[in-house]
Amino acid sequence: MPISDIPMLSMLRTKMHWHQERQQLLAQNVANSDTPTYRPVDLAPMDTSQNHPRLPPLVVRQTDPAHVGGALGGSPEFGVDPHGGYEVRPAGNAVNLEDEMMKVAANQMDYEAATTLYTHSLNLIKTALGKS
Amino acid sequence: MDFIKSLATAASGLHAQAGRMRVISENIANADSTGQTPGAAAYRRKIPTFRTEVDRVLGADVVALGRVRTDPSNFRKVYEPGHPAADANGYVNYPNVNPLVEMTDMRDAQRSYEANLNVITAARRMLERTVAILNA
Repeated sequence: MPISDIPMLSMLRTKMHWHQERQQLLAQNVANSDTPTYRPVDLAPMDTSQNHPRLPPLVVRQTDPAHVGGALGGSPEFGVDPHGGYEVRPAGNAVNLEDEMMKVAANQMDYEAATTLYTHSLNLIKTALGKS
Repeated sequence: MDFIKSLATAASGLHAQAGRMRVISENIANADSTGQTPGAAAYRRKIPTFRTEVDRVLGADVVALGRVRTDPSNFRKVYEPGHPAADANGYVNYPNVNPLVEMTDMRDAQRSYEANLNVITAARRMLERTVAILNA
């Protein structure tokens, strides 16, 4: 069982992925803060419930025992929430820079929390192995 | 890698805002550039435009400076009969640049530029934290 299959770690990985994707959308919003008719986008909140089992990621088939196994980065698609921005300027742009800055900061902090948790989980495993 | 995309998108924002600053500084520098011959047109204020562009290599929506347009509004008319560019009635065409508008525009560009810089800092920090997992 690869280390990334441990539920705790895979959950954190999904969370980090979500924040990464969100950072990309926020960067897009800030870059387009002066583009006419641009509406800000954001990610839909992450769905951590187990009620919707996600399709298993595509796996490279191993036809020979000597092949190295590995999952193709089947990136979980996160829903995009296009309903951002209610303060529309005359040019049709609805990006609020202060709002975006708050989101960027929050996103960064949550991401750091996830990476710290990841590190600590790895340390737990190390402790269990008696190596630290 | 999404962080690289974030960085590239923010960098496109920096580039566009820098281009906007260039246009604004042109306007301010030419705020008094009149024509040379009697009744000649003066410098026309330039307006930068932005547009969203899909970067196919990155697969991200970046921003780019669009065509720089000119402001079609009327010139300022100033009565200066002795001026080389004065028309038959003694009026000189002065550029339709309003320093106040340019200043507000400049502050706006500065603010957007800083916002993009903030995004770059945040993305870089997140990237650093990811690499720090290796040190666990």
